[in-house]
Amino acid sequence: MRARTHGLMTRKYSDDLRLFGSTNAKLGLLAILLLYAFVPVFVQSAFWLSVLDYAGIAAVGALGLNLLTGYTGQVSLGHAFFIGIGAYAAAKLGGPDDVGLPLPLWLLGATLMGAFVGALIGPFALRLRGNYLAIVTLGLVFLGEHVFRNAKEITGGNSGTSVQTASTLLGADFKDLQFLGQNFSFNQGYFWLIWGIVGIAALLCKNLVRTRPGRAMQAVRDRDVAAEVIGVQLGRYKVGAFAMSSGLAALAGALLGSYQQFVTPEQFNLFLSIQYIAIIIVGGVGTIFGSILGALVLGGLPGLIDQYSASIPGVTTGSGDSGFISVFSLNQAIFGLLIVLFLVFEPRGLAALWLRVKAYFKAWPFSY
Amino acid sequence: MRGMRTLTIAGATVALALAGCGGADESEPAADGGTDAGASGGAPPNAPGFDGTTIKVGALSPLSGPVAVIGNPLTNGNKVFFDALNAKGGIAGKYKVELVQDDTQYKPDVAVQRYNRLKGDVVAFTQVLGTAVTLGVLPQLKRDEILAAPASLDAFWVREPNLLPVGNPYQGQAINGIDYYLKNGGEGKNICSLSQDDAYGEAGKEGVDFVAEKEGFKLASAQKFTQGDKDVTGQIQSLAGAKCDAVFVTSLPTDSGTIWGTAAKLGFAPQWIAQSPAWIDELGASPLKDYLAKNVWVVAEGTEWGDESVEGMKQMVADVEQFDPNQDPDYYFAFGYVQGEAMSAVLEKAVENGDLSHKGVLDASKELGNVSFDGLFGDYEYGDAEARTPPSASTIFEVDTDKPYALGTLEKDYTSEAVSEFEYKAR
Amino acid sequence: MDEFLQLCFNGTALGARYALVALGFVIIYRATGVINFAQGGLVALGAYLAYALGDTATLPFLLAVIGAVLLSGLIAAGTERVVLRRMVGQPVFAVLMVTIGLLFILEQLVTSIWGFRALNLGDPWGVQTVDAGGVVLATKDLWTIGITAGVLAAFFAFFRFSKLGVAMRATAFDQEAALAQGISARRVFAVSWGISGALACLAGVTLAAGPAALTPGIGAIALVAFPAMIVGGLDSPIGAVLGGLIIGLTQALTSGYQEDLFPWAGANLSQVMPYIVMVLILLIRPYGLFGTKEVRRI
Repeated sequence: MRARTHGLMTRKYSDDLRLFGSTNAKLGLLAILLLYAFVPVFVQSAFWLSVLDYAGIAAVGALGLNLLTGYTGQVSLGHAFFIGIGAYAAAKLGGPDDVGLPLPLWLLGATLMGAFVGALIGPFALRLRGNYLAIVTLGLVFLGEHVFRNAKEITGGNSGTSVQTASTLLGADFKDLQFLGQNFSFNQGYFWLIWGIVGIAALLCKNLVRTRPGRAMQAVRDRDVAAEVIGVQLGRYKVGAFAMSSGLAALAGALLGSYQQFVTPEQFNLFLSIQYIAIIIVGGVGTIFGSILGALVLGGLPGLIDQYSASIPGVTTGSGDSGFISVFSLNQAIFGLLIVLFLVFEPRGLAALWLRVKAYFKAWPFSY
Repeated sequence: MRGMRTLTIAGATVALALAGCGGADESEPAADGGTDAGASGGAPPNAPGFDGTTIKVGALSPLSGPVAVIGNPLTNGNKVFFDALNAKGGIAGKYKVELVQDDTQYKPDVAVQRYNRLKGDVVAFTQVLGTAVTLGVLPQLKRDEILAAPASLDAFWVREPNLLPVGNPYQGQAINGIDYYLKNGGEGKNICSLSQDDAYGEAGKEGVDFVAEKEGFKLASAQKFTQGDKDVTGQIQSLAGAKCDAVFVTSLPTDSGTIWGTAAKLGFAPQWIAQSPAWIDELGASPLKDYLAKNVWVVAEGTEWGDESVEGMKQMVADVEQFDPNQDPDYYFAFGYVQGEAMSAVLEKAVENGDLSHKGVLDASKELGNVSFDGLFGDYEYGDAEARTPPSASTIFEVDTDKPYALGTLEKDYTSEAVSEFEYKAR
Repeated sequence: MDEFLQLCFNGTALGARYALVALGFVIIYRATGVINFAQGGLVALGAYLAYALGDTATLPFLLAVIGAVLLSGLIAAGTERVVLRRMVGQPVFAVLMVTIGLLFILEQLVTSIWGFRALNLGDPWGVQTVDAGGVVLATKDLWTIGITAGVLAAFFAFFRFSKLGVAMRATAFDQEAALAQGISARRVFAVSWGISGALACLAGVTLAAGPAALTPGIGAIALVAFPAMIVGGLDSPIGAVLGGLIIGLTQALTSGYQEDLFPWAGANLSQVMPYIVMVLILLIRPYGLFGTKEVRRI
């Protein structure tokens, strides 16, 4: 009988960095692909599909924020601004009455637009640190909303703009998919579009952070002066992280606009930024997987609470009910509570919980 | 949590899935059972939201959060109307109407999700509250061929085939209000506007600009403020500086107090002419009430609360008494009640046509013709979206703290000449 | 000229409110190195407590305000003890987010108890005014400026002369050295939060006075007080006061003159002016007007 090394054994650094090296990882990938293909088929409910669609959009944006905040350590409350840029760029680039680009191009165009604006604002991050940067990016959200409200030619001003983007890829229209003699609804089609992009974005981010630039970014996060001393070009990586993060935010915004087909300036407010930060906190700061997990949890939770709110005592569910707290308030309070509890008790988020479970079973039954 | 399956089942039934239950084409009405679908006069076949006895209609409203102050009375208005209707037998005397509420929190994204949840269970939406929310669900309404009644008075609803508006739009209110002022001693005076910086504010401003052009005067000053802003001194100062004799104000109740409070403390007392949603009866009980009684008009529709001489109002007050005695006099409540009336007219037509499917209800809304609200709101001339005519009269109220809603009639059903010339366009 | 003076007076009254909130930020920041996003929640809570004591418990207005100030201080200190104490030594970002989480919880607490309807605080100032030769001074605004000035004087005296105040300054200056001198950092933390909660309550009361002006939305003032604090410098109490006044005056003057001077910048420019001022000042002085430059060690 030939001896075989245990799956956990690695001989080279490159083994540690493999994406889908072990058998388990390959199985996991297969499971994810199967889920991707069949969730829309089994989840027929339009409500839950739309919840998943919004969660996917949030996951793309959260990946971007995690690159900036989780990996490079730059706190930004300005994410909502870049999401807005993406949404308006999609409206202009993808709208048949405007530029009218096909699906991949308007997505790419919106992403580049976000990255470009991010690169313009990035240099601020060089000058300001920590708390100062947080407040300045907070100002960005308010300035952005002001611009969105007043640049009427581009954004439609206060009455918002309709976003009519092309949604055809290789002859398949995601708004109205027909496949194997079946008709698929808008929500099903967009699930495949959105989560396909989540997959691509996650893969890109993973590849980025496990290679040289990723290590440089993490060095900047952990001690920027020390990173500079060992030869990391601070300016390049800080601005670069800003640009990439903003690009992904804009990509999320483009998807949001295209899915919702309508956006208004007040959607891109401070609360949206805070939501994205909450997603990466709950999911796991500095993990790719956590960004997606957090988006699913924070996106799905309000739906779940709402679904079962009638059986929670003291909660009002409609007009004329009596109760202590409304569903909205309960959701907001739970949102706040989740942030506080995770930061106090599990600062590394759900991803860390998952890793701990995984680590336990990896060496099972010798878990010590 | 219908439809959420686990991965294991997914794996095991891959083949089944491909063969069987692939697409969920929600736009197709799942008509099953029932009689001949096309036959007019017969019982309508079952459809999403109609099980042969009960018709379900949806309401997408902010039932919690800051705007719930508006959403709750509005939804109550829907409910009281349908309760009263059911007590009389229901649509066509036999089909009860059930109101299905869902909370949008006033956010477009939440509203789109809730819309998706409700759409398979209702024949139409009797209320969608909020301009941004309505615009958010509109593309989906069009795709699914569903009818919805928006709970705001924006002018562009008039030309949207999937929407069922009621009442004289904000623009019409502004035109009538200013015209009334001009005809009653305001000729040659300085007229100004103060509007909220959003779509609602712009609607009022559009009406003001229209009447200014028609009557050939120039606004002495046009100010804007942000909703929730606690300091409007600068704006009030500018209005006072421009020597405004009358100011048309488009605001929500939370800001009206701040605006008039600031004006009062600066000693600025023009004739305020306010858009209907700006008023709330709490203002009539605040320390400002003397100032308001002297200086504020509110442009709305119909008659004052509890006016027994108007048939529609008499009926509504009786229904409130019977079905929701806790409801205080409220403008938004009346709005919801009127929406219920409009929707029930559509449903009657759809039952008559024998088709309560989404498309059937939508088509029925185009065949309505003139619908009367018995003086509660102005009569609406429905039909194809291109040919609809909203009511054009407005009632000018003055603040009168002795009245139930602190508003007393100054001039009932005032229609200016300019308002008939205003063209309603699609967005 | 009258118009200019009037705008300046209103700007000062507005700035005084910002200063109260910004000072609260600075006190906490000096003691603990945290920017407290929950301050806005404390502003609203304080105002509603004053309403509850005055209107519901029918205390005289002055007593209600004093009671609310004390209660707010206690609640803030309690929050520090229960939640923030656990975050000592955590990264800036984490602590900042914890205070955002607290803000959400406080907001829901307020709206669950008192709802969203606009309420009358029951202040004795109403809409009374004093006429000062062409300029109208609202009683409410005069009181706001007076209260702010009084509080600031008391505050600086406290820091200068009281033992605890000196201890707080020492802790802000060098935490370890202060500890070595036997100063209890815990006590300093708790007192800082308490003072800041009390200041938030006062800001809330001055904001909520007037006809139907008490709404949960008054907490949003904290978002404008951020620029005030940053303009002055994160760790400078004098900077916070000056920053507040600068921001208040800028806003009032912008809303008064913008229509004539730069109409192209869009309506409501005054709403975003605080952020524009903040960015401009930070470009010139990255640590604000009076902030201490951070020393970076490897």
